[in-house]
Amino acid sequence: MTLPALVLSLLLAFAGFAALALSLDRHHRAVFRTPVPRGRIGSLRAAGWSGLGLSFAAAIASAGWSFGPVQWIGSLTGAALAVVALIAYRPRSLRAAALAALPLAALTLPLALMR
Amino acid sequence: MSRPRSFRQSMAWLHTWSGLVVGWVLFAIFVTGTASYYRTEISHWMRPELSETAADPVAAATRAGTFLQKTMPDAAAWSIRLPSAESPAVTVYWWRSFAGPFHHALLDPATGERASVRDTHGGNFLYRFHYELNLPPIWGRWIVSACAMNLLIALISGIVTHRRIFADFFTFRRARSAQRGWLDAHNVMGVLALPFHLMIVYTGLVTLSSMLMPWAVKTAYHGDILRYYADAGILVAGRPPVGRPGQALPLGEIVSRAVAVMGETPELMVVSHPGDAAATATVYFEEPPGLAHLHPQIAYDAATGAELGRVGEAGAATRTGAVMVGLHEAHFAAAPLRLLFFLCGLMGAAAVATGLVLWTVARVPKKGAPEGLGLRFVRILNLGTIAGLPAGLAAYFLANRLLPAGLDARADREVGAFFAVWMLAALASALYPRPLAWPIALAVPGFAFLAIPGVDALTVGEFRFIGFDIAMALLGLLLLLAARLAGRRVLARNPAQSRLHGTAEA
Repeated sequence: MTLPALVLSLLLAFAGFAALALSLDRHHRAVFRTPVPRGRIGSLRAAGWSGLGLSFAAAIASAGWSFGPVQWIGSLTGAALAVVALIAYRPRSLRAAALAALPLAALTLPLALMR
Repeated sequence: MSRPRSFRQSMAWLHTWSGLVVGWVLFAIFVTGTASYYRTEISHWMRPELSETAADPVAAATRAGTFLQKTMPDAAAWSIRLPSAESPAVTVYWWRSFAGPFHHALLDPATGERASVRDTHGGNFLYRFHYELNLPPIWGRWIVSACAMNLLIALISGIVTHRRIFADFFTFRRARSAQRGWLDAHNVMGVLALPFHLMIVYTGLVTLSSMLMPWAVKTAYHGDILRYYADAGILVAGRPPVGRPGQALPLGEIVSRAVAVMGETPELMVVSHPGDAAATATVYFEEPPGLAHLHPQIAYDAATGAELGRVGEAGAATRTGAVMVGLHEAHFAAAPLRLLFFLCGLMGAAAVATGLVLWTVARVPKKGAPEGLGLRFVRILNLGTIAGLPAGLAAYFLANRLLPAGLDARADREVGAFFAVWMLAALASALYPRPLAWPIALAVPGFAFLAIPGVDALTVGEFRFIGFDIAMALLGLLLLLAARLAGRRVLARNPAQSRLHGTAEA
């Protein structure tokens, strides 16, 4: 289990959690000052769960079935804490941070899958 | 307190009280247990005299054997932890009976004599404290087990009580009323790291399970725990002494044989009945990669060097137990994942701390009404534990650097500094003026932690400790930040602000 693999799991989980948080009115309001547009909820939730799923896939691919789940759950905790902290203290930067996490994840992907 | 009505209400009642009665001990367990993820690093820092170059384990084992032969040739057993890059000195234990006393020394691998190193318990003190509380082992372990069982109850009743785990998953309304903020913080710390909390308390109980539930082994093996360990594939079966003196091989010879068989250096060697013709030398290897905490072992006849047996494939139950212990200790976790485990541990401590504070915040008397005795008691214990324990920890590290190296019973005095400062900080925080109690009580350990890198630079000043020093500075800053946040609450208690709070939706 390498550093890039863990970072990849963390970034994907972070982007996923950010999307899930933004699918809730309270947090969408904190970030954009408006409730979630009705048509947006479904796509945000789909994006969010895909992020978590990809994070799981990355953990399993890089660390296998015994360490992978442990690593994934660890990254879920870390990523969710980061989302909560951003919403509470820097709500406006959540969107940018989540969007930045995706290209960063793409960058770490080759490093993470190298064994 | 009125009689609980619905199931959820009775669970809320259970959560509140099961958490409160053991909360202070749990906080200390979480903090010292979390620190134990870095036990080796702490021990390194606290023994700066030891270099980090690994010595030759074969020669080191032979020298350690010579030292132990001189020191206690008729011991029941010797234990020798061989040098590695992680822990460069040779740690030896020897004892006449399993009832103790267990003697202990740190040897220089190059000479086989006691290393000239400051006397300290290092990270081991914190590690043992987290499951023995510095009490006699059996007492401490039973108390910790009872607290852990209570925590398990608190966790499960907490899950039932929490109405909106998913809807409130990301919710932390810090700008609302104090009670709302603390409740949200408690929920965030508890829910986001919930898998960790459940895992750590359950696996913690599993590590103590043979003490908590000894009856199966007692009945099936009539108390012969060693035979049980051998059957379960945990230990190689021992053999009794024959009562004739024997001549053992140099211990390094056994190590070379083990290296030849396994292709890696063992981390530990235990010689039972040294000096007897039936002396046995068992070597233990580091656990192979995997979640399980199972050390491969080979037992050798110490006189001939013939292999007597080894731990084979463990059964399913043993493996399951080993995976749980492995998860609890996280030896498998490399630095990045270990950091996440550390973070989760801190969140556990924070969940306990926020829960304790929430208990008092929810019971603040109306303006002008006197503070009841119970509330005062809890508030003072909260201050003394949540802010006092970090002060004690900082004192433990500072004492390591500041106490003279040749002091009598130095290691115990470091521990004394830990408890003395903790108690002093707790007593002092009971006397601070009430509105300023939290900011002051948190700032004290904050500054103490910030002082550690400076004191280290002045007394030892080695570059390799920079990581530890930075970590101490960060902890100090974190505590000062907490003090600032606690202080802001005080400043916010002016009329204009409270009107703002009053209009906020609850």
